[in-house]
Parts: sequence; C-alpha cells; structure tokens
Amino acid sequence: MTDATASGTGERPAKPRPKPLTFLVTIGLVVWTVFTAREVGFRWSTFVTVWTNPLWEKFWPIPWEWVLDRDNVIDPLIETFQIAIVATVIGCGLALPAAFAMSRLTAPNSPTYWVSRIVMSIVRAVPDLFWAKLLVTAIGIGAFAGAWALSIFSFAVMVKLFSETVDGADPGPLEAARAAGSRHVPAVRTGVLPTVLPSYVAYALYVFELNIRASIVLGLVGAGGIGRIVEAQRTFFNFDRILGILVIVFVVVFVIEQISVALRRRLV
Amino acid sequence: MTATLPPDQADAAATETGRIPRPLRPRLARLAVFLVIAVGFIWGVSGLDVSWDRLRTAPSEAWAILKLMWPPDFATVIERGAIGKVLESVYIAWIGTVIAATLSLPLAFLASNNISPTVVRLPIRQLFNVIRAVPELIVAVVLLGVVPLGAWAGALAIGLHSIGTLGKLSSEEIESAAHGPVEAVEACGGTFISRVRWGVLPQVLPQIASYWLFRFEINVRASAVLGMIGAGGIGSELIAQLRFRNFPEVGAVLIITVAAVVFIDTVSSAIRKRIIAGGSGDPSRLMALVGDLAGSGRSARA
Repeated sequence: MTDATASGTGERPAKPRPKPLTFLVTIGLVVWTVFTAREVGFRWSTFVTVWTNPLWEKFWPIPWEWVLDRDNVIDPLIETFQIAIVATVIGCGLALPAAFAMSRLTAPNSPTYWVSRIVMSIVRAVPDLFWAKLLVTAIGIGAFAGAWALSIFSFAVMVKLFSETVDGADPGPLEAARAAGSRHVPAVRTGVLPTVLPSYVAYALYVFELNIRASIVLGLVGAGGIGRIVEAQRTFFNFDRILGILVIVFVVVFVIEQISVALRRRLV
Repeated sequence: MTATLPPDQADAAATETGRIPRPLRPRLARLAVFLVIAVGFIWGVSGLDVSWDRLRTAPSEAWAILKLMWPPDFATVIERGAIGKVLESVYIAWIGTVIAATLSLPLAFLASNNISPTVVRLPIRQLFNVIRAVPELIVAVVLLGVVPLGAWAGALAIGLHSIGTLGKLSSEEIESAAHGPVEAVEACGGTFISRVRWGVLPQVLPQIASYWLFRFEINVRASAVLGMIGAGGIGSELIAQLRFRNFPEVGAVLIITVAAVVFIDTVSSAIRKRIIAGGSGDPSRLMALVGDLAGSGRSARA
C-alpha cells in the first residue's frame, strides 16, 4: 500500500540493476558465441550466396516415376521400418528388467545399481550412428548391423527414461509385498510393475518414433534402409530424387507420429 | 482379529471361497497387443536377412573388434588433432543451437494460440512439423551440395533441424503461460510488443532457455555424427581411422567422444536444474551450482 502512495507522488521505483553474476554470464556467453562462430567459419554472406548456387536447379522437378517405383524407394523404406520395429522390440524388451536393476527403488543391491548406471551412461554417450558404423565394420554391411546398432541405442535410451519413472513410483505396494514376505522379483513384479506399465508403453512408442527417424539415416553409413538410397543418389548429385525421397519419408513419418502421439495421450 | 492365519490355512481359505475370475476384456486386449507386437517383430526380422549362423557369430565378431580397440592409442590420434576435432564438434553444436534459438523464439510466439491468429499459427506449426520430420543428417546431405563442405555447413544443418523441435516445445510453453500478467500490461495500455515482452517472455524464458541447453546436449551428439559425412568434427576422424582399420586409434577416438559428451551433459543438466529452480538471490547460489556440477546436489532433484 505504501507503493501506491509512492507512485501517487510521481516517484517511480528505481529500476532493479542486473546483478554482477548476470552481467558476467552474459558477457561470457557473448564472447564464447563469437569465438565459436569464428571457429566454425560463420559467414553472413552464405545466406546470400547459397541461393545463387547453380546446383539448386538439380532439385526440381521431382521425378515421381522414379520415386514411386517399388525397387527404388518403397522397398528400402519397408526395410527401414523392419529395422525400427525389431530394434524397438529388442531394445525395449531388454530394457524392462534392466531399468528395474538401475532404479534406486528396485535395484537388488547397490553394486548392481552403480555398475548398470555407469555402463548405461557410456552406451548412451556414443552417438547412434557411431554404433552403426562400428557394427557395420564388425559384422558387415546391411540391415542386420543397423538393427543391432539401433537395438543397443534404444535399449540405452529406454533404460534411462524408464528407470527414472521407476524412481518416482510409489514405494507403498513394494513395501507391502516385502512385508508379506515376498522375494525380490515377485515383489517388483506385483508391487511396482503395474503402476509404471502405462508409462513404459508410452516410452516404448516414443522410442519407436526415435528409431524410425534414426533408421532413415542408418544407410548413410552402410547399415541398411532408405538412407542407403540417399547416399547412393548423393554421390551422383541427384538432388531431385533425394527431394522426392524426403517427401515420401516426411509423409510416412508424420502419419506414424500422429498415431503414436494419439496412443500416448490415451495412455498417460 | 486375534491372530493372523498361518500361510497354509490362509491358502486353504482362499481356495474355499474361490478366486475371483479375472475380467475377460483386458485379457483379450493384452493378448491382442502381444499378437500385434509378435507379428510385427517376426515380419521385421524376416526383412533383415538374419540367419541362425549370423546370429550366433555376430556377438563374437563384435566382441573381437572391441578387444582390438584395447589398449586405445591416444598418442597417435591426439597428434592428428583429435582434441581440436572434438572441440570443433562442440562449436558446431553451439552455433547450430544459437541459430535455432534465435530463429525459433519469434516463430514460437507466432505459433502460439494465445498470441497470434489462426491464419499465422497453422502454417508455422506445419513448418515446425516438416522441419522436425527431416533428420539433420539429411539436411546436411542436401546442404553439403550447395554450401562448401565443412563445419559451417554442419552448423547450418543442425541449426535448421533444431528450429523444429525448439519451436514446438517453446510454443507449447508459451501457450501454457498465465494470462494475468498479459492482462495487466494491456490494462496499462501496453502495445502488442510490450505485452509479449513484459507479460509473457519473463514467464516462459527460464523453461525455454533450458530447452535450448537440452537441445545443445543433443546437438553435440548430432554434430559428432555429421563429421561422418564430411561436415567437420570428430566424426571425420572416426571414419578415417575405421577406413584403415586402426582399431586402437578408433578406441581412443570413441573414448574422447564419450568423455566430451558426458562432460557436456553433466554441466548442462546441472545448469538446467538451476535455471528451472530459479535463483533465490542468496550468495550461496554459485556454491550450490558448483555443488551440482560436482554431483553432490543429487538430492535436490526430488
């Protein structure tokens, strides 16, 4: 109420000044950004010159008869889905027990908790295409290596997401089961699993979406799917064909995502 | 209730009264879900030219490669400038994130139903969806055709792709902002710009900034991958070493990448936590941040 009288007399309250820390952080960020921009060779001129590149003519028109041919795009795209489905089922299936081992609430003992946590964060820190490239080197070019790589990666992501849900689960039923004399696995199975199952399914759908996106690019490193075609066309600068592939991929990914989002909304 | 029944008598009591039969409909639904997954899985496996032989030998082949990588040969790759290449990946990710943040913030306002009219909103939403559906590697493939090979092309690809996710997340945040402050600014005669600047932005900026940081973490991985197709960074080194089958060097590159990614994830998630929790203004804040970075602030998450 004193504020009201103060403003009545026409005195404005002093504008709060930025704190020294805010000031320092802002300057630091600006300096860092300018430095990194130089390092990567940031050039405003690119935004102008890029439009005058004669290669743009190669993007249009889209050769639909080539794109819609079964052998060219549709079959590799189906392979992409097969990779994504297999990887999701294997990754998420294995992640169910692993996540329980990695959550503080349900870990059988503390060495299990720590070892699984460290291994998982290392697996997750390796980018998915690095996995793909390594497995292509190890077990040969093709969709098989791609499915392997995505299984490993989706396992790691799923364990991380799901174990955090298990962390937040209600400990009550688990304690009740233990108090009734249950052993560890049945206690988790009946005390925790039913409460977290809806979010498990929701995360699995999310991981499936991630896998669809990832499996599109797997072929760029020789691990099968539609990316194989993109890579082959890129070496011949057939950008019109790549654009056609992109349109198809976009439509399919969009449809899958809408279905998955609708399902997830009903679950959670 | 004088005493609980011994277990065997309790069991007997249960069988006498008869178990309550489980409801049929959920069971049928569960069976249907399992069938769909099983059929999908079998169909998927059928397309991957898997033979029993390959399944059996693949793990040992993968393991053999892993063993070849040990011990990692750090000296050679560091001499070839691997540290600089990791840093380049980080720079690419940062510039990409800055580009995406700068472009996505105004677009996100234009895509929010409490700020902008439907005519503007729907096209921008669709734009976000289109951008999100195209992986950054594909963006890079296209860009590498028209922009000279190298780090700058990678940063542009990451920046373009990140606009999609950042725009979508930010506009969702803006839509959930409280309307009160906006009305207050309006009541004082504020223009459209000042309504956005003083009514909405202060409410949503912490959350949006934490999305930016989160995106930066993702982009570090993405830029490492971009190097594999010639857009600068550590990925190119991995490809070079794999081409000549220098496995100890490959191991070293992997370890350097993992170390960088884990370091950035840890720092960035600690900062995000502080941004969301907000500063209370007391002098121990910096110390708390340091504590978060050191990992001692783990209890603060709950």
